[in-house]
Amino acid sequence: MIRCNNLHVTFNHGLPTEKLALRGVDLTIPSGEFVTVIGSNGAGKSTLLNTIAGDIRTTRGDIFFGDRNVTKLPATGRTKDIARVFQDPLAGTCGDLTVEENMSLAYGRGKRGTLSFALNNKLRAIFKEQLSRLNLGLEDRLDSEMGLLSGGQRQSVSLLMSALQPSSILLLDEHTAALDPKTAALIMDISSQIIAEKQLTVMMVTHSMRQALDHGSRTVMLHEGKIIFDLEGKERANYEVKDLLNLFAQARNDGEELDDDKLLLGS
Amino acid sequence: MSVFAFLGTLEIGFIYGLVAIGVYITFRILDFPDLTVDGSFTLGAAVTATLIVAGQNVFLATLLGTLAASCAGLLTAWLNLRFNILHLLASILTMTALYTINLRVMGKPNVALIMEPTILTPFEGIFGIPDMYMKVIFVAICAVLAALLVAWFLNTQYGLAMRAVGSNKRMAQANGIVVTEKVYVGLALSNGLVGLAGALFAQTNGFADSTMGIGTIVVGLAAVIIGQSLFASRSMWVIVLSCIVGSILYRVAVSLALNADFLGFKASDLNLITAVLVALALVFPKLRSEWKAKQAERNNG
Repeated sequence: MIRCNNLHVTFNHGLPTEKLALRGVDLTIPSGEFVTVIGSNGAGKSTLLNTIAGDIRTTRGDIFFGDRNVTKLPATGRTKDIARVFQDPLAGTCGDLTVEENMSLAYGRGKRGTLSFALNNKLRAIFKEQLSRLNLGLEDRLDSEMGLLSGGQRQSVSLLMSALQPSSILLLDEHTAALDPKTAALIMDISSQIIAEKQLTVMMVTHSMRQALDHGSRTVMLHEGKIIFDLEGKERANYEVKDLLNLFAQARNDGEELDDDKLLLGS
Repeated sequence: MSVFAFLGTLEIGFIYGLVAIGVYITFRILDFPDLTVDGSFTLGAAVTATLIVAGQNVFLATLLGTLAASCAGLLTAWLNLRFNILHLLASILTMTALYTINLRVMGKPNVALIMEPTILTPFEGIFGIPDMYMKVIFVAICAVLAALLVAWFLNTQYGLAMRAVGSNKRMAQANGIVVTEKVYVGLALSNGLVGLAGALFAQTNGFADSTMGIGTIVVGLAAVIIGQSLFASRSMWVIVLSCIVGSILYRVAVSLALNADFLGFKASDLNLITAVLVALALVFPKLRSEWKAKQAERNNG
């Protein structure tokens, strides 16, 4: 379970460029729930995710994993509970290392690295078996450099890597946004499989309202650092993309034009 | 080249092989260009030579010289990690400070070890091997042993985590790797190897000098680049051992250049030759790929 209590995050505190990125976010995600997070650029989606992951310190408020207060815990200390997949396919893997070396790193996530060999045949067998699930032929390329793989392949491996170690929370930050539609669909499929299989608590940030409604069991929308609505259950099941857009327009009743965002968000 | 000169070339090649491994760890593994080595090479030599002259055990003296150099690496890492000083600048600061520290350690610009016992003394006359061969065999064993240890280390979980830090910090962090710790360990290891090279150099050549470290970084880098361009491999064992091969080849190239009468070089031209060799090693791969691209264009056109 993730619980955020009145989260505030301010960038460049006290400077002319001060930005209130999060302004009091209260959010409780029960174990095993899959929440999709939407909002326009600068709404605070990624900030919220990165704050939960520990990359960004909170200015005010607390974060709990279960009963544990992790607000003061650095990002590396939270990796026992959290697996992440980034938007940039290059960000989640090391291009200079081989596929199996990358997977070995993920296999040791949250544990202290020891002085035993990072790779052995037992591990290779596990990695091979995992990679064969992707049907991309990567199981025969264990010793290929990660940098030689395509963006989609790298992102697929990142996803597999996130599930190599048992964790309770999976944070997906627009992890299909940089891919072509076909690959994006494939990645989303694998994500759903892994999430269902491991019964993970998931937060997925997305720019696509379609994706936000099609996946998961709950959708929250952020605007200017606050949650402006929170949909679940029957109400959510009846929602269409255009309903979301209307809700969004109402929330932004400051009269701003929505046309640009409509193009972006309706896709 | 006489046998004697060739043995001298090999000996220096193996000693600087240790430097090359150190430079490989910072430049290639950690992506942390570290110029501290110019100072830590001398520091290793200075501490070891001073302790030997003071009557200390040669092995203890060598160990302490190595550890002193490791501490210099830690200082550079601290300046960079704690205060966000650019890595290059942090290492230049340490290097500059070390010049004075080395003079203070020795109390004078130069310490002679000619009449003192050295780390080679216990091995003199074993199996009836003449001293001039023994020297080379000894430094060769040191260098290869160090290379095997480093290669093993880089293949462990801990070593792999260090390689991830140099390759992709964000990914490393997301997988629970503490980046700062790996940088500290890497710089201590790298400078320790360089300090050990300095300590061995002082003992095989019979002196420690405050200026002996100048250009260490360039020589180490030259060895790494030559070694890597000759042996394109992903195996840590091959890569680390190729640093030593690169170092020896570099020494051979330098002594050939200095010995070729028609070129008319003097011993004092060493630094120019070094710079030209490194520049060539860096430029060659690029020229080759450009040339190939041109050829392909011509063939297609």
